[in-house]
Amino acid sequence: MKFKEKLESGKFLITAELFPPKGVDVSAFLRRAQSLKDLDAVNVTDNQRASMRAGSLAMCKLLLERGIEPVLQLTCRDKNRIALQSELLSANILGIENVLILSGDHTDAGEYKGTKTVYDLDTVQLIKTARLLETGFDLAGKKLSGAPKFCVGAVVNPSATPDELQALMLEKKVKAGAEFFQTQTVFDAARYKNFYDKVKHTNAVILPGVTLIKSPKFMSFLQSLPGVYIPQEVQDRINGAADPLAEGIKICAQTIKELRSFARGVHIMAIGMEEFIPEIIRASCVL
Amino acid sequence: MIITKKKPNEEILESLSGAHTVFVAGCGSCALKCANSDEKSVALMKEFLEQNGKKVLQAFTVESACDMRLVKRDLLKNENFKNADAVLALSCGAGVQAIETVCAKEVIPALNSSYVGTTERIGVYKKFCSVCGSCVLALTGGICPKTRCAKGLVNGPCGGFVNGKCEIDADKDCAWVLIYEKLKKNGALDKFVNQYLKPA
Repeated sequence: MKFKEKLESGKFLITAELFPPKGVDVSAFLRRAQSLKDLDAVNVTDNQRASMRAGSLAMCKLLLERGIEPVLQLTCRDKNRIALQSELLSANILGIENVLILSGDHTDAGEYKGTKTVYDLDTVQLIKTARLLETGFDLAGKKLSGAPKFCVGAVVNPSATPDELQALMLEKKVKAGAEFFQTQTVFDAARYKNFYDKVKHTNAVILPGVTLIKSPKFMSFLQSLPGVYIPQEVQDRINGAADPLAEGIKICAQTIKELRSFARGVHIMAIGMEEFIPEIIRASCVL
Repeated sequence: MIITKKKPNEEILESLSGAHTVFVAGCGSCALKCANSDEKSVALMKEFLEQNGKKVLQAFTVESACDMRLVKRDLLKNENFKNADAVLALSCGAGVQAIETVCAKEVIPALNSSYVGTTERIGVYKKFCSVCGSCVLALTGGICPKTRCAKGLVNGPCGGFVNGKCEIDADKDCAWVLIYEKLKKNGALDKFVNQYLKPA
């Protein structure tokens, strides 16, 4: 069953994400991917945090060849409307249907400060553009020779305040044609539930993001990212643990377990520690 | 008005390296209000150039350097202007090019043009407008997301705002949070959800 069909199946969905390599050695990427072969889909990021890496499209194709259903992440930051539409068509030609549309972290927050950003289209416009291409026409009104078919996803940040504004954006993206959502990382399932209650009337399939905290240093890094909220209790557990990675796995699994009671799935961000994802999933079922 | 900032002296001298005689043309409009082309700034520039071996034939302030009619009226018959090897314009880029268009002389900018600014007080300007040619302020509570959102997003915010501040500058308000608060106050959030701004 394809990811698009699974969205309607009622199954608790589990996705994760991988970063493309910074370079041309794909061995670590493929090794990590092997740990994720039983998941419902695997995202590949698009120059995340405004860093420069290999392209999402090439890495998605490698996943597809290995029987893993990919989700192409596509940001509005680096490409104009010509390049974005072209990328969507290219993805479809290669057999990639799932796309996750994001605005993309601003370059001033990344390793290429001062780089000219594009943002020719915003996320709502790009979601609608993907839907337009499916009708056989492009943004210039020209007819396509063969229309693509997508499963379009989008993102929201449940931890951003005011969260009502994020809830409104979710609704707006649903109206634009988003079929599923993956969110910024959630460490507090109860807090996420408050957000979820604001948007459940949309019937959107939302996979809240969960992140594996592997060390106190990594936790500090996470806290420096825009819109990441880590409750004090989680901070204390990581800082006080003899084995922070084991504690991080436990916290991640507990969060997923709590989310299982009302969420439609989860999106796991292990950030280089994907080999532990199967263990996290197993633990979330038995805790 | 157009907010300008004076270029470094070294850059100005470098640009004028081929000129011995210079005509300093100030602008009596925006650059003057930014204190980059007022009487004192023009006099200081003249003094600086003379200290560095240039012969300043005249320092003169045009009423508005970006108005070609005024440039023609005030400069074209001026003998000092005609005789100068180069013109140093203390104006925005529109002024520099207005002078260049009407006289075809070498015109060197002394200022960088920054943006269309809203004045809070002298020296404190806000970038509120990008002169984009397709104003959306009627739909966004009078707050421009094209200019004031770091990503220029027109249909709503990204997920990076933190307590109402922008993800790339904790001191800067997220334009979309400001818009949201305004629309909420005006009971217009339903309109926001259903409103779609097409690509420009």
